[in-house]
Amino acid sequence: MTLWLMAGLLFTPLAWAVLTLMVDFRKGRLVTWLGMAVQVLVSLGLWAAVASDGGFLYLLGGWQAPLGIELRVDGLAVTFVLLTALVAAACGWHASIYLDPGKPWHRYFWPLFWFLWAGLNAVWLGGDLFNLYVGLELISLAAVGLVALGGQADALRAAIRYLMAALLGSLAYLLGVALIYGQFGTLSLAGVTELMNSGDAQSGQTFPLVLMLLGLALKTALFPMHGWLPPAHGIAKSPVSALLSALVVKASFYIAARLWLDLGGELGGFALAQLIGVLGSLAIIWGSWLAFRQTKLKQVVAYSSVAQIGYLFLLFPLTWGVTEAISLQAQQGITLQVISHALAKAAMFLAAGNLIMSVGSNRVDALAGVSRFLPFSLFSFGLAGVSLMGLPPTGGFAAKWLLLQASLASGQWWWLAVLLAGGLLSAAYVFRVYRASFIESTDTDQFYHPSRSLEVIPMILALMSLGLGLVAEPVLSVMSLPFEGGGQ
Amino acid sequence: MTLFSAPFVLLSVMLPLASMVLSCRTEWQRGYRYCLPLLPLPALLLGVAVEPGWWLELPGLLIGGLWGADDLRRAFLVLTAMLWLIGGVFAIGYLKDHHLRRFCVFWSLTLAGNLGLIISLDIASFYSFFALMTFAGYGLVVHEGTDEANRAGRVYLGMAVVGEMAILSGLLMAAQLAGSGLLANLPAAIAGADRQWLIMLLLLAGFGVKAGLPLLHFWLPLAHPVAPTPASAVLSGAMIKAGLLGWLVTLPFGEVSLPGWGNALVILGAVGSLGGALLGVRQQRPKAVLAYSSISQMGLMTLMVGAALANADYAGPLFAVMALYVLHHGLAKGSLFLSTAMALPTSRGGQWLLWLLIALPGLSLAGLPFTSGAASKLAMKELLKPDSFGFAMAPYLPTLMSAGAVATMLLVWRFLWVQRAVAGVGSNPAFMWLGWGLATASSLILFWWLPWPEAVPEKAWLSAMVYEAWSLFWPMLLATVIAALAWRSVKQR
Amino acid sequence: MTLSVLMPVFALMTSLLASVILFALPEKGYRLRTIINLAAAILKIALVGVMIWGVAHGREYEAAFTMVPGVEFVLRADALSMLFAGLSALLWLLTTIYAVGYLEDSPNRSRFFGFFSLCVASTMGIALAGNLFTFFLFYEMLTLSTYPLVVHRGTTKALRAGRNYIIYTLTGGAVLLFAIAWLHGLVGDLRFQEGGYFSDVDPSLNGPLTIIFVLMMVGLGVKAALVPFHGWLPQAMVAPAPVSALLHAVAVVKAGAFGIIRVVFEIYGLEAAEAMGLLAGLSVVAALTIIYGSTRALYQVDLKRRLAFSTVSQVSYIVLGLCLFGPLGVIGGLVHLVHQGIMKITLFFCAGNYAETLGVHRIDELDGAGKRMPGTSVAFTLGAFGMIGAPPLAGFITKWTMGAGALEVGMDWVVAVLVISSLLNAAYFLPILHRLWFAEQCEPWPHERRWGRLETSAWLLWPPLITATLMVLAGLLANVPFSPLSWAELIVLREVAL
Repeated sequence: MTLWLMAGLLFTPLAWAVLTLMVDFRKGRLVTWLGMAVQVLVSLGLWAAVASDGGFLYLLGGWQAPLGIELRVDGLAVTFVLLTALVAAACGWHASIYLDPGKPWHRYFWPLFWFLWAGLNAVWLGGDLFNLYVGLELISLAAVGLVALGGQADALRAAIRYLMAALLGSLAYLLGVALIYGQFGTLSLAGVTELMNSGDAQSGQTFPLVLMLLGLALKTALFPMHGWLPPAHGIAKSPVSALLSALVVKASFYIAARLWLDLGGELGGFALAQLIGVLGSLAIIWGSWLAFRQTKLKQVVAYSSVAQIGYLFLLFPLTWGVTEAISLQAQQGITLQVISHALAKAAMFLAAGNLIMSVGSNRVDALAGVSRFLPFSLFSFGLAGVSLMGLPPTGGFAAKWLLLQASLASGQWWWLAVLLAGGLLSAAYVFRVYRASFIESTDTDQFYHPSRSLEVIPMILALMSLGLGLVAEPVLSVMSLPFEGGGQ
Repeated sequence: MTLFSAPFVLLSVMLPLASMVLSCRTEWQRGYRYCLPLLPLPALLLGVAVEPGWWLELPGLLIGGLWGADDLRRAFLVLTAMLWLIGGVFAIGYLKDHHLRRFCVFWSLTLAGNLGLIISLDIASFYSFFALMTFAGYGLVVHEGTDEANRAGRVYLGMAVVGEMAILSGLLMAAQLAGSGLLANLPAAIAGADRQWLIMLLLLAGFGVKAGLPLLHFWLPLAHPVAPTPASAVLSGAMIKAGLLGWLVTLPFGEVSLPGWGNALVILGAVGSLGGALLGVRQQRPKAVLAYSSISQMGLMTLMVGAALANADYAGPLFAVMALYVLHHGLAKGSLFLSTAMALPTSRGGQWLLWLLIALPGLSLAGLPFTSGAASKLAMKELLKPDSFGFAMAPYLPTLMSAGAVATMLLVWRFLWVQRAVAGVGSNPAFMWLGWGLATASSLILFWWLPWPEAVPEKAWLSAMVYEAWSLFWPMLLATVIAALAWRSVKQR
Repeated sequence: MTLSVLMPVFALMTSLLASVILFALPEKGYRLRTIINLAAAILKIALVGVMIWGVAHGREYEAAFTMVPGVEFVLRADALSMLFAGLSALLWLLTTIYAVGYLEDSPNRSRFFGFFSLCVASTMGIALAGNLFTFFLFYEMLTLSTYPLVVHRGTTKALRAGRNYIIYTLTGGAVLLFAIAWLHGLVGDLRFQEGGYFSDVDPSLNGPLTIIFVLMMVGLGVKAALVPFHGWLPQAMVAPAPVSALLHAVAVVKAGAFGIIRVVFEIYGLEAAEAMGLLAGLSVVAALTIIYGSTRALYQVDLKRRLAFSTVSQVSYIVLGLCLFGPLGVIGGLVHLVHQGIMKITLFFCAGNYAETLGVHRIDELDGAGKRMPGTSVAFTLGAFGMIGAPPLAGFITKWTMGAGALEVGMDWVVAVLVISSLLNAAYFLPILHRLWFAEQCEPWPHERRWGRLETSAWLLWPPLITATLMVLAGLLANVPFSPLSWAELIVLREVAL
């Protein structure tokens, strides 16, 4: 059973990608609808299987690493797989209505979309460094392509910039992988950990880790390497921005986090952990501030991503040199943050797309008086904003709560200030948008209501992000499920 | 408390309040005016017909209510109800259509407060009704809406609010010590309190505002003259007594002798009674003269309060005398106030008769033999003998009382003098005649049949007045001589 | 799932569901919206009524589940929560009625009523919250749901007020979150419990606990408008009258005060808080707020602003009452939670009526309004006297109990504060009353509207009359069972270990 599920998860996206590559936009859309239904079902199935039986290691084709492909199917991975399925399906659905079938280059959306999805699944499940790299590259290239779909010169420029950053990041990462392989002779993460724990760790090994983290941080747009993100996310079509912000940046972070949790304890150090934490904090503050200053709606959301990503990097200081319990708390907090941000940010971008479509302008000012038309999308935007602000009962709040607890318990109280200030700053830029929508001016009687399904999708995502806080406990309990032995 | 009278008790407070329903419709306001005299009727019946000593428990009210009446309260109740009834009758004739409805509402509210505070035995009800009377009284004071009335109202309200707060703090502290919500437990608690001086100061000052204690009296000569005449009558006759009642039911009379406080109050009383007269004779308007006369009279009562405070043994009998005095002064002063609004008849004989009837309650105040004033003055004299009191001011009491009588008489002359100058000739509405007639009659005649406090010393009043005629008479004579001299000197100028 | 679990959930859900439905309704669905609003409000009153009855007879209502590891979501009905829940449910109904009349023909009604219901749901949640975490959850939800109401008019002024409101409250919320998280880190998940947790705490924890207490008071004090965190409140006056009424009488300021009550009684414990010397500081802040608010109110010419500063002052009575750490003082504080609510909402309803019917906003335009609008003015008069603390109205009961409580524990200066505040109250309310009843109307009303025979729309007239009546009854019949005073006594008897 799980064999079929695994196969469905990894290879069918590639199959859909190839299929859609050969047809035009409308047919591709039909294929995609079918594909999305299958993917969601499969992801759900796998999640249910893991939730009931626990996680496992899966060796593709039965060969051991390094020859074979080792997949790590634990609670965390399946949760992300499911998250990907939900968010990607939502974005795909939205795109299928949102994108104009009349533009010829839009037909490439579908294959790129599916390649992206395949890459994401590969990253979540990947167990060795090289496979992770492959997945990452797949994601990056697909993402760059999607950004370029914007079609204008600006979009191309942003895409090129994005490509450069992604390649540079990949390069650094690959270099680090090579060094690790040179030292340990294996690419399997589990293998490296095992070797290290056996006691023959040598000095000077921090460098490859730093190199890999640097590359991944660049891909994740950690401050001060965030320059490429806002243009790319801001200029892309809304469903694309949603995908990029919600999932793509998380993939590289996911790898970084895995590296850190497996290797960081030995190879990392207090200074490194704190440095990353500080960079994350700066990202929170600076990103929020820039988001506050933006005049274009989507730029606000894009800079907000920079800030929200900053939270993720608090994982590093909060898991280094602390007790198991605190580390677990921090991991849970970060996981919740990833999930809630993915849901909220996707909702926000999709809603922003709808709003821009409704008022015919991408400026924040243009929203003046919009709230009187009771646009569903504004509401979704608002709900997602609540999650970003980290106010209860959203997932964002649950995440923040756990992080607060972890920082307090580990004695690193300085992160408290960052967490609280970050919440307030995000409130500042979110309320700026609300505020604009409440302005009563007489000249806004032009309002186009997008179709129902376009409006419903962000709402569903926002509500999920909102409800996440209430069900955080069951979700987290699946994530922390232990492995059931080694093989399949 | 019999079943029969419980509705009466409730009705005596509720009727005035319920009457406000009549203000809901503009068409009913004429009817409202005619209802005014009916409002105090249940209370009057309660005072006259029901023997004191009854009480009624109202556990749900405020923080536990208890209403009832004793000998002292009965006198206050009878006076208050009488006076409001008379005022109500007079008001029917007196009132114009100007804000009629508003006047009636505030009249009813003030009445309810005034009656209610008398029959309240628990602190919360007492204070509630007291406040109701105070605040609603503002409506009567500023009714005319003139600048002068508004200014008077401001002073009245300002001082009243400060007074209320003093009362509240005093009551709070006393009640906390007593551990009880009943007024009856306060005196004992205050008598044994550590901070007795503070509590007493607060209560004396708080109620003193209402009672026109010197230096707390400023509102009184401003407010009483500007109010509509029937309102002035009840203000000066009945409401001013609420302050006195407040003292009598809260301060530690009969519990402990406090010569220090007694001295202070006697001095204050003397200042009030003489100083009030001194300022009063300089007034140009009849109602202002009467207002100062009220201050002066309250000064005399303060004198008695001081004596009662100074000597615990005499508190009981003095209470009775004070009750009698209250009854006398209230009715007489009410009658005098009402007479300021009367127009003189055209016939010369009628004019003389009217002047006589106007003057008689005044002379009664001064203690003319065979009037209510003589009776209360004699009762007072009987008790305030210097040798039975042991405090510093006691020897001066008889002198002060005589001086007070002179002062009172002077004020009466002054009143008649200025009233003569302003009184016009014309006709009065029937209800004004009726009201004024009732007032004068009750002051001069009905007084003798009203239920007196039982503790008033038994005495053959008629013979006593004959014997004491000279002692009553010489101060009046002296005052008349002074008045005549003054009149001559003014005339020559 | 038994009834005892479902009751608090239902009570919360009535307004939450109502809010969702109201958002979905088209703008023109006037009649349907009114029906839904009123039905939900009446249903909620019934539910709360049943719970009050049950709690009085010793039944327990509780629903709980784990939200985040280590943290529970708890809804629980105890006597204290019923005090607040009862008040909110009752005033919600009245305010809804009022709002229907007030917003007649104005735009954005779906939005308004949607957020309005959400706001009430949050209030209900705050009342029913069984631990600090749940409390915080609804506390922040309240912040968010009131923002759209404050900026409802969409004018520059409203938006500025909204911005200030959100800055104050969110910052306060952040401080509160910090404090709660810290406390949670120190001692774990704390349910509200009779007598608190720290009666015999390790002295080494006194330092952190004191700081946490101060932080919590700051966080809660923003909503309770303790000086110097009161700045948002007078500005928020630009909101429509029903909102200011609700904001000031029930929802927002009371949420802060209620939180302070919970923290002092059921987290720290009155005795422990007193022993740590925390109450002394709090009482000074409360006293300063009382005097400051009243003094500022004196100088306001705008009616609603004057009322707002009055609120600043009055809410601190509740806090001051707690600091008296004796049964009577606590009763006084608790009962004022209800009394202040009824009185202040009456005053705001009336202010709204003057604005809506006559176009009058400033106090000096009120000359002679008593003759034109007697019903409203009677209600206003009663409310004002209640605020002054004149007997036998509700405010007097508060003042009397609190005064007695202060003397009981030897904090005599509190009586002086009460007296000064009453004098100031009199100084800023009585002139208004004079204008209403005794001044002659000199100029025509700025913007008069006529509603047939009545002085104003019946929707607008009845709510203040009802609340005024309630206020009189709360004072007059303070000693009967289920009166606010009796209920406060029950709370103290049951839940406050003294």
